[in-house]
Amino acid sequence: MGTTASQLGKDLLSEYQELTFLTKQEILLAHKRYSELLSKEDRNLTSVPMEKVLSLPELKSNPFRKRICHVFSTSDMKDGSLTFEDFLDLLSAFSDSATLEIKSHYAFRIFDFDDDGTLDGGDLEKLVNCLTGKTEDTRLTPEEMRQLISNSQISVLQNRIEQLEQLLEENHQIISHIKDSCSGADRLWRCVPQRTAALP
Amino acid sequence: MEFSELQRPSSTIAHSYHGAQQLVRLRSKSVVSNQNGPQFNWGSPPSEGGEEGDSGPPKDLRERPMTMRLKRAIREVQQMRVPVVTSWQSWKRSKAKSLSRFRADAGGVMSYVALWRKALHKIGGHFGGGVQSYFIFLRFLVVLNFLSFLLIAGFILIPSIVFRSTSTSNMTVDSTGPEVCKVYDPNLQGLVVFYQYFLDLLSGTGFMEYSYMFYGYYNNTVAESSGFHYNLPLAYLLTSVFYFAFCLICIIARMGSALRVAVATGSGAAGSYSKMVFTGWDYGCQGDRATKLKQKSIHYQLQVDLEEERLQKKALSLTLGQTVGLCSLRIFLMLISLALIGGAFFGIFKATVFSQVQVGAEGILGLFWVYLPSIVITTGNFVVPFMCDQIALFERYSPSTTIIVALFRSVFLRMISLGVLLFTLWSQITCFKDSPKCELCQYNNKEYPCWETRVGQEMYKLALFDFLITIAMLILVEFPRRLFVDHYSCVLTRWVGRQEFLVPPNVLGLVYGQTVVWTGALFCPLLPLINTLKFFILFYCKKVTLFSNCRPAVKTFRSTTSTIFFLVVLLFGWGLALVAMIYSLAQIHPSMSCGPFRSLTMMWSIVPNTFYTLSLTTQDFIFYMGSQAFSIPLFIFSCVVLCYVAALATVYGKSVDLLKAQLKLEGRDKQFLVKQIEELSREMGVPTRDQLDTFDTGAAN
Repeated sequence: MGTTASQLGKDLLSEYQELTFLTKQEILLAHKRYSELLSKEDRNLTSVPMEKVLSLPELKSNPFRKRICHVFSTSDMKDGSLTFEDFLDLLSAFSDSATLEIKSHYAFRIFDFDDDGTLDGGDLEKLVNCLTGKTEDTRLTPEEMRQLISNSQISVLQNRIEQLEQLLEENHQIISHIKDSCSGADRLWRCVPQRTAALP
Repeated sequence: MEFSELQRPSSTIAHSYHGAQQLVRLRSKSVVSNQNGPQFNWGSPPSEGGEEGDSGPPKDLRERPMTMRLKRAIREVQQMRVPVVTSWQSWKRSKAKSLSRFRADAGGVMSYVALWRKALHKIGGHFGGGVQSYFIFLRFLVVLNFLSFLLIAGFILIPSIVFRSTSTSNMTVDSTGPEVCKVYDPNLQGLVVFYQYFLDLLSGTGFMEYSYMFYGYYNNTVAESSGFHYNLPLAYLLTSVFYFAFCLICIIARMGSALRVAVATGSGAAGSYSKMVFTGWDYGCQGDRATKLKQKSIHYQLQVDLEEERLQKKALSLTLGQTVGLCSLRIFLMLISLALIGGAFFGIFKATVFSQVQVGAEGILGLFWVYLPSIVITTGNFVVPFMCDQIALFERYSPSTTIIVALFRSVFLRMISLGVLLFTLWSQITCFKDSPKCELCQYNNKEYPCWETRVGQEMYKLALFDFLITIAMLILVEFPRRLFVDHYSCVLTRWVGRQEFLVPPNVLGLVYGQTVVWTGALFCPLLPLINTLKFFILFYCKKVTLFSNCRPAVKTFRSTTSTIFFLVVLLFGWGLALVAMIYSLAQIHPSMSCGPFRSLTMMWSIVPNTFYTLSLTTQDFIFYMGSQAFSIPLFIFSCVVLCYVAALATVYGKSVDLLKAQLKLEGRDKQFLVKQIEELSREMGVPTRDQLDTFDTGAAN
């Protein structure tokens, strides 16, 4: 149950500390940011609708923002709304200290656009289009897309959480992509670009 | 060790069969996130489950990709169940918990202390990892230079200051040799014009020459007072040697960590796009502009890689005649670029000789002659790479090869131009072709009464000029260019565009600066301090120009392999400086008029001299260590250790390959199984998606 009280209880805080990869300051900061999202709404709401979450500056321009909300949401109505605990789960998965298993699990689910538990050609195409931009001139041409998909060993990638883990293991340094660093400063996300162009 | 490695696949198999069960449900119903994690075995004791089971239960829970609700429920169950552990184990667990908490807090504190952490984050967020790796390299050099300065200050500078101020208990041994060789009077001060101080500051002469800055000021004092014995010349020599060793160790340690990452990442073969696609996005990008830039750069990189693959395929299909033609064209162009580089070397040689001849000229013209070698080197370093880039357009290498070839050419040019400068200096000092001048003192004492100080001055001038040119370029070229491009728009400005921050030339500049410092450290002990300040200021200047004047590059620069490349080039520079130092220590006669080694025929001879003053047992011991009876068994032993480590590495490599292949096979197995389950469930009329939904949500609550 997400709390909308202005203070988090001490044992709740330590519980969250044990169950996520966030530090105490980060949890308090997350609470503050979450409360700001709720501030204009009815205080009795326990989850923030997806549009409000997407208004966060860190998520606003992220091409995967909708997928992220859907993956972390535990709402029965599947509308992508996040409770405070979902929000903490999100931050924990993206933090520096999260393990490879956690990251690869959530990465798999975020990239699985059609939620069928497999990463197939259609998912890959949508993924590449997200990566390169929505407008026509930034997309790859159909031939290039075909060349890419045929070379991505896509047949081996279906259902392959372990394979994804192996790939991500190989790029362990680049795993810092899939993270934000809640470094206890006044901004929740800091740019953490410690690898960028470690591109093959 | 191998046993646990083999254990891992079995647990991943267990994991994957759990996952396989899961996947049927995943496929047949819509996403409900709290159901999509792997199954948790409610019956298992807290210490099992998960591969990292030896850390306490709290860490275990975090690593399970479940929703918070589930995790809290599990935690409650765990806490209600009282585990039967001994007091020793519970004490161990509580200690481990507090230790991990302490480590987390310490990590938080350390991250505040790290130099320029926020600035580096900001740079990386806006310009990418390639540019950030340049600034990280710069920070590494600042720290290295500062630590070297502390080393030198502790062993050379401070004792020197102390001995000078307490000039009671020192012994200065005068050199034996012709009197004319001992003449050295740097303080030719009379009434000097005010701007002479400024000129002296720039060229290291005048008031700066006879100061702690340069070699000539240090005496060969051997201080002895009540049991405290300090041999300054020996300290000077050993500190210089140790300084080189220290820098080497730092570079190798850093290269080791970068190599480990690169080996884990694997070779970036064209065609492996999965890596780029799945791990290419930077979730730390902020704002629309950064996002669009990142998208553009990924787009560009994908296109480049796809193009490279197409080119590779095309290259394989070339006929013999075409291949021969291409090869001969490339060889021809390579010869042209080598000729250009050779021309630059010749120019530097001539300029150095001419500049040495012109010593003593006054005023601005004198300053110009004095700085002539630096000017020629810098001009060469601008012009020749530019022309080589134009040549490279015709060579038609693939894009990554072009970059590597261009980099190696620039590195070659820079390092060897410095080497040519040093060679000319040395040939002047030791009268390479003109023996009569050097007969008396074994070095050219007329033009170089204290030749070490002269070499130190030369290195100081190079370092300073490099810095001034960088600042001048910033102020006179980059800022105006940005103003021009921003406020006028015509064809020219659109073609020129804003400055792009090119990483390789900047890094080579840093390596060049550092090599100059290494070469000059023996003769100018304060040079590491000057370099620390120089790089420190350079960081802020480059950061300012980056954010104000530069546009982010669309062509990104690989950061893992580039770090290794930077360090390899730095090692080249180190090697060059080492050669120079060894030559100075072992070949040239030290000046008889100045410096700590004035009474010796060779700088290195202080070590044998001191060695023979040690006690006889120590001497015998050291002789024994150098003798065959000790060194041959030691050599054999180290060969055995090397073979063992190499064999271990091969075995690990093989087992890693085996495990990778096994993973692939398992994947195919799972795919097959899932297909089977699909077919079977279709045949047997397994409940539909909605029925399963209600079943699951009912089970969870």
